[in-house]
Amino acid sequence: MPLPPRDFSTIGPNEGDRFPEVRLPNQTGAIVDLHAARAGRKALVVFHRSAEW
Amino acid sequence: MEPALSGNNVAVFAISYDSVEILARFAETHGIAFPLLSDQGSHVMRRLGLLNPRVQEDHAAYGIGPNPRHVDLPYPGVFLVDEQGVVAVKRFHESYRERDAGAGLLASTLGLFSPAPGPEVAVPDDAVHVRAWLDSPTYCMFQRLHLNVEIVVGDGFHVYAEPISDGYTPLSVDVAPIQGMERGAIRWPAPRSFTIDGLQEEFWVHEGTIRGSLPLTFTAAPGAGDHLLHATVAYQACSRVACLPPSALHLKFPVKEVALVDRELPARTEKTEAGG
Repeated sequence: MPLPPRDFSTIGPNEGDRFPEVRLPNQTGAIVDLHAARAGRKALVVFHRSAEW
Repeated sequence: MEPALSGNNVAVFAISYDSVEILARFAETHGIAFPLLSDQGSHVMRRLGLLNPRVQEDHAAYGIGPNPRHVDLPYPGVFLVDEQGVVAVKRFHESYRERDAGAGLLASTLGLFSPAPGPEVAVPDDAVHVRAWLDSPTYCMFQRLHLNVEIVVGDGFHVYAEPISDGYTPLSVDVAPIQGMERGAIRWPAPRSFTIDGLQEEFWVHEGTIRGSLPLTFTAAPGAGDHLLHATVAYQACSRVACLPPSALHLKFPVKEVALVDRELPARTEKTEAGG
């Protein structure tokens, strides 16, 4: 049986919050600052579990 | 996939705990040009509070076997960030299957913010235009779809939101139950408080353009077949001086069953009536 649904309002940033600063390497190894790379545009930020499995 | 979003001027970023090497290989295999960010060690995901502390338990509950790679994993999901860097939309859900939480998540969630991929039902009347669409014309086991509803309320009008006293029809969307489909609650933006001179009561109303989405999760075993979803959108539009009669729109959305990746649907057996 599936588990009862979680309340995602207690998990991670919420609607209305500024999205946190994120600075990570991309697939070429270059460091990307998410807000800078966004350059004033809207952004879709997808958290996925793996590109391998 | 990405061109639809570039046209809307939306930057796309994906984040996972994969190494740069794994992401490089994935990007090359799939021709991905947008940044795949490597959060090796899950430090950013931990800082943001997105790690699932109960991955093993969740997997057992869904019948997924234990796997030593399933540690420090995030809840899979997506944020839409606006031009000011503020979270405008947050979509997270229970990952019923790895397929929905791994690379496949990108494809299905990018679809959420594109124009309607399937048939769209639009019903205009004088005060309110309603547009509704499913975010996918197909479903497979454990997939979560959304019925998206857009309400455009004409100038000078408003529609009631809940809570409202008896005698008024608040905005609602109902999907008729189907065995093997779980219906969630529709999420609307916050309504506005509204008072009319001479009336004590405070009303909650929506004005302008609002969008809501109603989650539908298909949990039946493969072979459940295609469905026709019956949705009812009800509302009552009023101006400051008069109310229109309540409206109830009955809308239908076909959805076809498809197989899980690398699987086939069970063969349908012919049923014959006893006695011919």
